[in-house]
Amino acid sequence: MTELAFLTIAEASHLIAKRELSPVELTEACLRRIETLDSQLDSFVTLTAERARAEARAAETAIMASGPRSRLHGIPYCLKDIFDAAGIRTTAMSKLLADNVPPRDSRCQEKLAAAGGVLLGKNATWEFAHGGPSWDILFPPARNPWDCTCSPAGSSSGSAAAVAAGFSPATLGSDTGGSIRGPAAACGIAGLKPTYGLVSRRGVLPNCFSQDHAGPLAWTTEDVAILLQVIAGHDPEDPGSADVAIPDYSAALTGNVKGLIIGVPTPWLEKEAPPSAATMAAFEAALDVFRGLGASVRPVTLPPIEQFDDAKKIIAISELFTIHADDLRKRPELFGASLRYRIIAGALVRAEDYIQAMRLRTELARSLQAALSTVDLLMLPTGEPARKLEPIHPSTLFTQPSLTAAFNVGGNPALSVCSGFDARGLPFSLQIVGRLFDEATVLRAGDAYEKATPWRDKRPVL
Amino acid sequence: MSQTPSDDDIKRLAREAGLDLPAEFMPELIEAYGHVRQMTERVRAARPRGDEPAHVFVASAFQPGKDKR
Repeated sequence: MTELAFLTIAEASHLIAKRELSPVELTEACLRRIETLDSQLDSFVTLTAERARAEARAAETAIMASGPRSRLHGIPYCLKDIFDAAGIRTTAMSKLLADNVPPRDSRCQEKLAAAGGVLLGKNATWEFAHGGPSWDILFPPARNPWDCTCSPAGSSSGSAAAVAAGFSPATLGSDTGGSIRGPAAACGIAGLKPTYGLVSRRGVLPNCFSQDHAGPLAWTTEDVAILLQVIAGHDPEDPGSADVAIPDYSAALTGNVKGLIIGVPTPWLEKEAPPSAATMAAFEAALDVFRGLGASVRPVTLPPIEQFDDAKKIIAISELFTIHADDLRKRPELFGASLRYRIIAGALVRAEDYIQAMRLRTELARSLQAALSTVDLLMLPTGEPARKLEPIHPSTLFTQPSLTAAFNVGGNPALSVCSGFDARGLPFSLQIVGRLFDEATVLRAGDAYEKATPWRDKRPVL
Repeated sequence: MSQTPSDDDIKRLAREAGLDLPAEFMPELIEAYGHVRQMTERVRAARPRGDEPAHVFVASAFQPGKDKR
């Protein structure tokens, strides 16, 4: 039998509904793996074992009495340590928030709890979901379960590592420039940045208000769909929240991608930000899978990637500085060096430049939606396979082009899925980008790809 | 590209922004600002007066009933 902790949400919820698996057994299996193996990964910063056991027992009692109230009832999950859960500290890995215990749940936590999920604890992040990896902050950085000497990327680093390692079948992360998709890619799992406004950020520590997205990470796209169903929806307390109808995401997973038109931003991949030969070979192989499933592939031209990066980063550093200005003025020594470097120059960005970046954002977002009116999806690599976990100069944030940030600028849904393994056994990744609020098509494509390939059969060994 | 500010210029601008940093952090600011300045130079472009940015005020979000629960 598959180790219980490696069950997907879909598999576990099916067994729980048939009363063949107890939430208590499943939770204990996850806790056992965390307690024996997380010293290798540091993917958790706070473990809420007794609370989890109590929630699992309550779920078991309720399910035995009247069946599960959702597909998450009795399913363990965790939260990136920027999501508030009442009574549990939210640190963002920062010395500034070492004793920060919120009195109220984030909206996402409210929804997960209402669905009957079992909270295991809080996952490691880069400091305030922006600066890292860092060794001079509250906790050590998480490591990659495929190779513990490698980085799980960031900033939802512990979230992705925990899912890949079989510590938890579900987790939530945040994504301002790629912080769900990058770690999902590095750890070989599925991670979705939903459309801006689809998932409430109320009770989630901000990185950059106008580009922050909360979203799910899980082993499969099918599980991401289950999680999204629970957390999506309008929230009047999030100023960016969208009041839109929420479709049945799991029902969209038909396995059929025949006739879909896939656009590839060829100029980005050939000239502006060319990936390595191995990454491009894996990407071409993934496109061949879609061709084999009946989709067609064509090149598309988007605005220069540098424009997306400039808009994203000027907006981000301006908003980040505003958020942290008081602390930077009064106690700059409490920031990790990586985060401080990445936000401190926000003090000198002129209002004119912020507004110009926001004007450019409008233009870029329109261009992106125009391109997506000619194709159903865009596809490109999420990034390169994981690099060694070692200090990187924080200036790389400003100097390296990003294959993910453009879709924070545009607000489009973007999913990362595993697309094979390199010669070292580290995961390759495929990024699938959709039209605004068309998560259903993005998830349908990701699910069809996973089911047509063997990559979901292989787990990291700790 | 406009004239590159000197290190002293950057220190003065930082002070005017209320950022009276300890000397040990000033090199970080100077180096980081060099990168940010390259980006801000690139986004400065002549645009129509009516070219609204991406964060315009949306009144409907503040209608009664759409406010806090």
